[in-house]
Amino acid sequence: MKIVTKSFLRYLPRRLSLSLLQLMGVACGVAAVVGMTMSAITALASFSKAVGFLSGKATHSVQRPAGPMEEKALADLARDPSVEHFSPVIDRRLRLSNGDLVRFLGIDPFLDRAIRPEIADAELKRDTGNPEGALSFLLGDDAVLVDRELAQQLKLSSGAILQTTRGSLRVVGTFANPSGDPLVLMDIANAQRLFALQGFVDRADLILTDELGFRTRWENGFLIQSGRQRSIIFSAMLGAFRLNLEALSLLALFVGVFLIYNTAMFAVVNRRRDSGVLRSLGARRHEIIVAFLTEILILGFIGGALGGVIGYCLTRFLTALIGTSITDLYFFLRPEPSAWSSWILFAGIGLGCGASMLGGALPLWEIVRTDPVKALSGRVADRQSGRNAHRTSLAGLLILAISVILLTLPHTHIYVGFAGVFSFLIGASFLTGTVLVAVHPGLKWLLGRMGRLPGKVAAGNIRQNLGRTAVAVAAFMVALSMSVGLGAMIGSFRQSLVWWMGSQLQGELYIGKIGEADVPETFYEEVKRMPGLGGADPYRKVQVLYRGLPVYVASVDASVVQRFTHFGWLKGGNENWEPVKRGGVVISESFARRFKVKSGDTVVLGGAHGPAELKVGGIFYDYTTEHGLLMMDRSTFLRVFGDHTINSLAAFIDPDNPRRQELIQEIKRRAEARGLPMQTQSQLRASILKVFDNTFAVTRSMRALAIVVAFFGIAGALLTLFMERRRDFGIYRSLGFSTGQIATMTLLEGLGMGVVSYLLSIGVGTILAILLINVINLRSFNWTIFFYFDLGPYVWTAITALVASLGAAAYPIWKVCRTYPQMQIREE
Amino acid sequence: MAEPVIRVVDLWKDYADDLTNAPALRGSSLEIDVGEIIALYGKSGSGKSTLFNLIAGLDHPTKGCIEVEGQDLELLGERGRTNLRRFRLGFVFQFFNLLPTLTAFENVFLSLELVARPDTEMASSALREVGLAGKEHRYPNELSGGEQQRVAIARAIVKRPSIILADEPTGNLDTATGNQILDLLTRRCRESRTTLIMATHAPLTCHYADRVLKMVDGVVVEETPGEAVVR
Amino acid sequence: MTSGEWRVARKRTALWLAVIVGVILLSCIPSSGAEWKQAVEPWTWSFPRDHGSHPDFRTEWWYFTGNLEDTAGKRYGYQLTFFRQGVNLQPKDPQNPWSIRDLYLAHFTLTDVTPGQFSFAEHLSRKGPGFAQAAQDGMDVHLLNWSAKMEGNTVRIEARDHEMELSLKLTPTKPVVLHGEHGLSKKGAKQGQSSYYYSFTDLQTDGTIKMPGSQFPIRVRGTSWFDHEFGSNQLAQDQTGWDWFSVHLSDGQDLMIYFLRRSDESVEPTSSGTLVTATGGATHLRLADISIEVLDRWKSQRSGGTYPSKWRIFIRPANIKIVLTPLVSNQELVTGGSTGVTYWEGAVAGTGTSGGKRVTCEGYVEMTGYAGSIGGIF
Repeated sequence: MKIVTKSFLRYLPRRLSLSLLQLMGVACGVAAVVGMTMSAITALASFSKAVGFLSGKATHSVQRPAGPMEEKALADLARDPSVEHFSPVIDRRLRLSNGDLVRFLGIDPFLDRAIRPEIADAELKRDTGNPEGALSFLLGDDAVLVDRELAQQLKLSSGAILQTTRGSLRVVGTFANPSGDPLVLMDIANAQRLFALQGFVDRADLILTDELGFRTRWENGFLIQSGRQRSIIFSAMLGAFRLNLEALSLLALFVGVFLIYNTAMFAVVNRRRDSGVLRSLGARRHEIIVAFLTEILILGFIGGALGGVIGYCLTRFLTALIGTSITDLYFFLRPEPSAWSSWILFAGIGLGCGASMLGGALPLWEIVRTDPVKALSGRVADRQSGRNAHRTSLAGLLILAISVILLTLPHTHIYVGFAGVFSFLIGASFLTGTVLVAVHPGLKWLLGRMGRLPGKVAAGNIRQNLGRTAVAVAAFMVALSMSVGLGAMIGSFRQSLVWWMGSQLQGELYIGKIGEADVPETFYEEVKRMPGLGGADPYRKVQVLYRGLPVYVASVDASVVQRFTHFGWLKGGNENWEPVKRGGVVISESFARRFKVKSGDTVVLGGAHGPAELKVGGIFYDYTTEHGLLMMDRSTFLRVFGDHTINSLAAFIDPDNPRRQELIQEIKRRAEARGLPMQTQSQLRASILKVFDNTFAVTRSMRALAIVVAFFGIAGALLTLFMERRRDFGIYRSLGFSTGQIATMTLLEGLGMGVVSYLLSIGVGTILAILLINVINLRSFNWTIFFYFDLGPYVWTAITALVASLGAAAYPIWKVCRTYPQMQIREE
Repeated sequence: MAEPVIRVVDLWKDYADDLTNAPALRGSSLEIDVGEIIALYGKSGSGKSTLFNLIAGLDHPTKGCIEVEGQDLELLGERGRTNLRRFRLGFVFQFFNLLPTLTAFENVFLSLELVARPDTEMASSALREVGLAGKEHRYPNELSGGEQQRVAIARAIVKRPSIILADEPTGNLDTATGNQILDLLTRRCRESRTTLIMATHAPLTCHYADRVLKMVDGVVVEETPGEAVVR
Repeated sequence: MTSGEWRVARKRTALWLAVIVGVILLSCIPSSGAEWKQAVEPWTWSFPRDHGSHPDFRTEWWYFTGNLEDTAGKRYGYQLTFFRQGVNLQPKDPQNPWSIRDLYLAHFTLTDVTPGQFSFAEHLSRKGPGFAQAAQDGMDVHLLNWSAKMEGNTVRIEARDHEMELSLKLTPTKPVVLHGEHGLSKKGAKQGQSSYYYSFTDLQTDGTIKMPGSQFPIRVRGTSWFDHEFGSNQLAQDQTGWDWFSVHLSDGQDLMIYFLRRSDESVEPTSSGTLVTATGGATHLRLADISIEVLDRWKSQRSGGTYPSKWRIFIRPANIKIVLTPLVSNQELVTGGSTGVTYWEGAVAGTGTSGGKRVTCEGYVEMTGYAGSIGGIF
């Protein structure tokens, strides 16, 4: 190895603590990216795998546009000349007594063999040596098979009892399930009984030989979907969620690269003088570049490898979080964290090296461009840093201008929105130099008040070493802004949701649970007839297709809803229900935005008797689905879809009704008698908020990660500053500064940078929140979140900033206390 | 008469970013012959370092011309100037400017490596000649100031340059050590007929010079034989 | 399933064999309470009622085989069989069509003699909402889209699977032939180890078939054989399988013989046959009346079973001497989804003498238990 290179590399062990910080910086950056990206990929792949596994060999499926399908249609399917194979399916969710919601399939193992041989085999191949068990799946009333992983998790073996909210089921065997979807299987006859679906199935999976012929015979009143359409719809379901994960991965990448840039930048700054010496000795630029690149690549390599490993560990945690969110929102999933592969290491190394090169490029360019004279004396460079800071700020303003353009471009892809948001952050981060110069007097005053002379010196040091401090403040500011921005966005979203719940969820009691426990129609009739009750709203929500895309239709009793709720309307008030009573619909904001449908337009839905035209009477705010929701009166719904299912029943009682409590108790008693689950208004609201909070668990973890990354950034900056100024410490000592004063100074430097970063992040973070709400959310979810100011994120971030900057100062302070008494005015 | 090894004609240097101060050089001219030992004498801020950096091709003049061994530095280009520093110039700095991560030996060897003569024996003997036998493997921070400057001298001399530029070579040393260093430096240069230019504000240094060029406010104002300044 | 898919399906099929053996083993355990009726007394036959289902018995089948010829003289064979296998004499929930009482199984084969192509498919289902049914008042059996229905004096059989199709009209030219003792066919020494068994031995056949790979249906005519058999407990554990022959002689006689083989390689003494004259008169043949000699064997690459593939048959009372050979050697069914039994059933043809006169003959042969014992299954 060339001595030039060696002279650079020797710094790594020599300044071990700094090297370790830099290494951790790279590692955390890489870990954030690897962890987030891999978890997202794993969870989404697991989702497609589950969809694929459940679809089996089916080419198509046929079902009613909404609700279950009469089983008498199956005989016609059996005889249809285009149908090679068919398999009726009851596809539901089952709540286990431990609270988990798992997928439940009721199938006929004989017919299903052609579609899902693996599953059907599992149903019949068990216990072949044991005649008593052989047909137990078919003949036992409560016999189920559970997939092996679920069985292991619940410690169930053959013969065990699986407790569910629908009673106890007997496990007669287990089966291998390659998908990430926990699965319980039951014979269709038993499944019909379990879900009170006698005479109905949810759909039939088909293998068709002639799609066209089949469609001509079945199109009217049935929904026929090819496997491709189904998977497109499934991925459309997850579209916004996927986007959210992608955004978070990008965010991780952004923070990661920024930190690595930060690290490389410090490395360059540290080598500036050496590079000057080398240049004066006649070393060529490329020799210095090679030496420097070797150094940052070693950091990138080791840090990247380490980051890969840490990132892999993160995936184990993040994958579960994402899985929970998908389960709550879309589809029950149990994504397995992907197995360790050396590719993760390679990816981490690649990322570490790549980002290091990227991060090192700009500072490196600067180092080789600088005249050796300037390089030789760090002072000269810093004398110029004010000027540099202004130049950088100009670049920052330019980037901000670009970001404004990107953000205001109408109708562009959401990625353009992301690009806009990121360029806003980058642009803002470029302004830190100027800001540091600008706030210097204030900072001097503040730190002076806090630490007297050492405080003033600390403020001066921050101002004097802009080359280092501006970058550190920028990185820290970005991280804190993320924290503020994401926090404020989530908080506003949550408040909007609370407002929405207040507007729509006004029932006293909610009986039944969507996707779990339907309400028998007879019960609805019974409750409706109860004297003194204000009203009962039979709620049904079902996914249908509109223009080939999944949307939801909800059926309500328009009169009851009109009387007892006060929806948030984009325009008008509860008079919007009038056309609904007459057979029209009201639509959610997301539906209106997604399909560009206005009040007064007509939407066409495929019903059980062919297409149905429905007039839009109004648009309401809604946060339940980003896919769009159409709400119609139950009479209209029954006319169009013929689906009598009621998912939940809301009971309304006039607030001044003296028999209020009595009525509530009476409904409770009757629901209990039928074994129907129920929730009070506050319980329902709490459960919705819980789902909401789960959904943002991933986002919150990214927020935490950003802080960790930033911590290493600022700690590295402080340590560099500290090392660079050891000689100055000698001078301070000669001037009579005590160890305590030097420690105070170091502490206040960290604090000063933290304070400036935080102050910047208040503004930048708030703007970020507004961008996330008005650009990203609006474009990807099609709903309006109202910005609610909440002190929480700001306080939380302030505490984080304080702790991080003080924590970052801890090591230099320790070093000061240990070495200051020996320090002299001399070169290293 | 032979061509001067260094010729500087009407050299001006303005620090563009430093509008408050007067130009660092305001039309300096000088000529130095092969093997001459020159003291560039002046107060701090008189322009010595600026002149030095310009002669070394580390910086660009605002106006004027520098020829080193008959070649115009501006015409040499960056690569040519790097080669000039690498092969023809040696440096000794006030703050030694040793690379802190390299041992004494490696600091010297680095110089040889850069001129593509990685001869360990040359490096060792250079260190022996400056009196550092046995301390080859110490790092700069394990050496005293004088010893560090000896390493710097060895580093400058080992590649047998035609010119050595020494910027305040004793500025950071006590008088006794300073004398030893100057003695060593001038002796080595005389032996090898290397031109030596020392920038200094200490009259003591001038004592070792053949010729003293006095600088005031960016201009070479007078020229005296070395002995004269001391007296 | 076409023969090309065989190899792919083999592994799964082997598994399924085990599965269904299990399924049917279970069905051998008497359910509590009421029991399946046993074939003990001679049956009082009444047609067309007895063409229909006899659900009191556990096992029942309707068996169609036939030898066909197209207009160009190319020869084909077919088999379409419906099985009803009782599982629960009293289903748990009789109102629910999904509640299992019987399982219906069906096999469908086509043999194209010219290229030596053999294809088969199978179905298995419970009754379900209209998936399978066997009427009790006459022959009307269907399983998914396969069916056999008798209207007047004609039976229509239809089946379609993937690329195979069959749509035939069968008209009996001879009256019903009752096998054994007035239709009580002994399958073993024990009481109840019997079945009720009758045939239409000679059905004039015409209609269309479509072979896998061919674009158009082929018009065919020929002769079919129909067996209907029901009972509850036929094969004993020590019986490893059977060989069953149905042969049309060119002089108008029809011959049915079956041998039940035992694990000690002996033949069950109750094995017997029936000879039907050209006018429809039936003669019961005892084992002693029949002698059979296996002249050649064929080993199945798929199942590993070795089957007889050439027979010399001598019926003493009628002085019939014939030699039979399969028209295609590989007519083996490895049934995964339905009975789970591997057997050979295929079109055969031969020559010989009947009463000293030269005759040609064609028919179907079924051989079970050569690729693993099926004792105790049926």
